[in-house]
Amino acid sequence: MADRAAGLFFKAAAAVSLAVLAFIIGIILVKGLGTAVRPSFLFGRPQAMKEGGGIGPMFFSSLYLTLLTTLMVVPLGVGAALYLAEFSRDGRLVRLVRWGTESLSSISSVVFGIFGMIFFVIYMRLGYSLLAGALTLTLMNLPTVMRVTEESIRAIPWSYREASLSLGASRWETARRVVLPAALPGITTGAVLTMGRIMGESAALVYTVGIFVRKPPLSPLQPAAPMAANIWHLYTEGALIPDWMRVASGEAAALLVMVLLLNLGAGALAGAIRKKMGILH
Amino acid sequence: MPCEADEEEVRGVKVSREALLEVMEGESDLPPDDEMEGEKDLAQGNKMELSGLSLSYGGKKVLEDISMPIPARSITAVIGPSGCGKSSLLRCLNRMNELVDGARVEGKVYLDGEDVYAPGFDVVGLRRRVGMVFQKPNPFPKSVYENVAYGPRLYGVRQKKVLDRIVEESLRRAALWDEVKDKLGSSALALSGGQQQRLCIARVLAVQPEVILLDEPCSALDPISTQRIEDLLHELKEMYTIVIVTHNMQQAARVSDFTAFITIEEQGSPGRLVEFGETEEVFTNPRKKKTEDYITGRFG
Repeated sequence: MADRAAGLFFKAAAAVSLAVLAFIIGIILVKGLGTAVRPSFLFGRPQAMKEGGGIGPMFFSSLYLTLLTTLMVVPLGVGAALYLAEFSRDGRLVRLVRWGTESLSSISSVVFGIFGMIFFVIYMRLGYSLLAGALTLTLMNLPTVMRVTEESIRAIPWSYREASLSLGASRWETARRVVLPAALPGITTGAVLTMGRIMGESAALVYTVGIFVRKPPLSPLQPAAPMAANIWHLYTEGALIPDWMRVASGEAAALLVMVLLLNLGAGALAGAIRKKMGILH
Repeated sequence: MPCEADEEEVRGVKVSREALLEVMEGESDLPPDDEMEGEKDLAQGNKMELSGLSLSYGGKKVLEDISMPIPARSITAVIGPSGCGKSSLLRCLNRMNELVDGARVEGKVYLDGEDVYAPGFDVVGLRRRVGMVFQKPNPFPKSVYENVAYGPRLYGVRQKKVLDRIVEESLRRAALWDEVKDKLGSSALALSGGQQQRLCIARVLAVQPEVILLDEPCSALDPISTQRIEDLLHELKEMYTIVIVTHNMQQAARVSDFTAFITIEEQGSPGRLVEFGETEEVFTNPRKKKTEDYITGRFG
């Protein structure tokens, strides 16, 4: 009887969360997909005062920022995690690093944004720029990348390392030739999911990268306007253009599709790597 | 081949100077067969030698004062009840026990007369010369080819041609070539357990070791795969010095030339060497009561 009740409760909980997700995705797509799929919108010039503008520079900003951040946060996070998992003895320093990254992951993104503005934008004189935003997002996503990597590294059987060391490999050679390749599917999944989070981030970027640009940024030192930040801008102060609701909805739908594709791609990519390397588990 | 054999004997002399001076002096005329067990093969030289070896993990003694030779080009079996430290003993020979926190070794382990625990001794070189096969087959999650090529690549072999030759030769020696030659590129994890274990042997052979340590290599395998590995060991001892740890006494009796029996007094006390000798002697005419009790199944 209790079993049955519990089962029903869990089913209901699952149904509710699925329904909420479906509702959000549905409403965003219904309101914006029609706009988002038009090339003249996705790649078009934005308007500041009149209607009919596109989101070309924002689309480009999002891709640029995601790439830039990924190139910084993945090597850094994977390297740090590899050190923690493979080389460190459980000492004070390691506990401090873990404690630090755990704390980092519970700070709200707007705080990162303000820190980024004070430190990177003003103190480091980077100005509103893709680089300032990418650095801010690197700090923000470092804990996730590290945790995912460390988990995939720790999941690798000790026997692989033992085999490598017994053949005369050093710890570093073992990490590079055996541990990292075997952890690659997990690391890839983590990296791609992080890319999705970067794309969806707005609060940390409003104060570091910018919210509106007319032309696509070319240099990382130029200001830009990632899509999520631009959506926030349209909803709060974008009423200068009469069709802000249309632009925001289209942009939201485009962003949603991009993130969904990334998440789907993460699973497929990890599966492909597993298959290529012959990892069966 | 004859050349290699000569070289081995030269090494043998060098080794034995440490511990077996008398035997070596009589090298030219081999001692008669009815001499004490082991002696005629000792004349061939010992590849390795343990002298007063003790091992402790975090202050707890696991092995106490083990002294025994490991004769060249023969199979030495280490038997004993579970928990007597026989696997730990094996790991002292290639310094794999160093990977365990708090492991401490006392005494000496000689390889060709050189103490492998001497300060400054090249561990990487040691592990290359003394290869190891583990209890559970542990191929890398890579292709069959990459598994065998792992060691050579580590030591800087880059040329495809050379690697191809090493891979084929090693797989042939491990009696696996015919079964995998058409799927060198597919995952090693797709092979059967017995094939995986032979692949691990091929992986060790590819770095051209002098000694091969096997830690209960058949305990996870079916009888047919076990048979194949045992046949293989017989062939390999022509070229390599082999040490096998096994809890299967029939296996020790079947495959080995020499047997070392290690046991513990009681749970938690360190393992001690009870008897070392020619396998036939140890099994048919043990010198110690404890050995007899163990091999007749009255204990352990």
